[in-house]
Amino acid sequence: MSFVSDRWGDDDLLAALREAVRARQAVPAEFVEAGKSAFAWHNIDAELAQLTYDSSRDTRYEPSLRAETASVRALTFTSPHLTIELEVSEDSLLGQFVPAQPGTVRVQPADGAETTVPADEIGCFVIRPIPSRPFRLDCRTTGGTEALTGWITL
Amino acid sequence: MREDLSVTALVTRVGEGDQEAWNEIIERYAPLVWSICLRYQLDRQDIDDVGQSVWLLLVEHIGSIREAAALPGWLATTTKHECLRVLRAGRRQEYPGLPPEEQLPGDPAAVTVEQELIEAERDAALRAALAELPDRCRELLTMLISDPPPAYAQISATLGIAVGSIGPTRARCLGRLRQSPHLAGFLADGVEGVEVSGTGR
Repeated sequence: MSFVSDRWGDDDLLAALREAVRARQAVPAEFVEAGKSAFAWHNIDAELAQLTYDSSRDTRYEPSLRAETASVRALTFTSPHLTIELEVSEDSLLGQFVPAQPGTVRVQPADGAETTVPADEIGCFVIRPIPSRPFRLDCRTTGGTEALTGWITL
Repeated sequence: MREDLSVTALVTRVGEGDQEAWNEIIERYAPLVWSICLRYQLDRQDIDDVGQSVWLLLVEHIGSIREAAALPGWLATTTKHECLRVLRAGRRQEYPGLPPEEQLPGDPAAVTVEQELIEAERDAALRAALAELPDRCRELLTMLISDPPPAYAQISATLGIAVGSIGPTRARCLGRLRQSPHLAGFLADGVEGVEVSGTGR
């Protein structure tokens, strides 16, 4: 590996080239194809809600907080006009719009069909079971606000 | 005029919705994501899970990566985080009664992720340089690095080059490879400082 900063002799260069091609060939084609397909998710029009809080990231760096936060994983997504708070319980995902208001939530898995759940008059919704693959939530309030969360993996 | 295939140009094109540029980025850096997953000893299903998350995060964030050259580093860091997430989730299922701190695996692979990044960037640069060589050179070098390497007689028959000129052609093609802009960053030290840097070997 030292050849990077050394002078590359022909044999070194050829050996490095062999290694580079082998590294690429070691990657299964389906893995690469999945990456290419992900581009279908670009250019989404809805207002994006960014992940602004994740309790699991808290505990990773601050073990002292774990007693209070470990039992329930909590996530918060924030967009300019709507905040979505999520709590992961044993068998379901509980959410609420803030400010509280009714609407619908479309659960969009990266690799499957979407489902829709209602948000009640105070903006609460339940997703059951918890999606096992990456998904995002397209949240629409009856007032016309729409916010799309970043990808969530639980 | 060849297309500009620098990372910066690719990222710009992706921002304009260019699927081809996106594919090129995936082709180039999938080995990086893959090799980091192997460092964390994930099984195939978990690797696919990590890959899926990393690519989706990349779709989302590629527009906001200010310095395109930072893309490989961003991918390495994101992949590492996703590997740790998957490992934690697996341990939670296996030992539901564990207190949370026990769910956090140590990170023995952390040090080597940096090494994977360096190697993956170098490998990607080499592959990009190879891909841009004239056909004849690319064919010859590809044959020379295949495993097992074919006899010169076979190379001669396949490519229609006299056996005696394979050696000189090889040298000339490697010379062209060295001049590839993709390799500029990696070869910079070797041009002037031959004697100084060469003593370490």
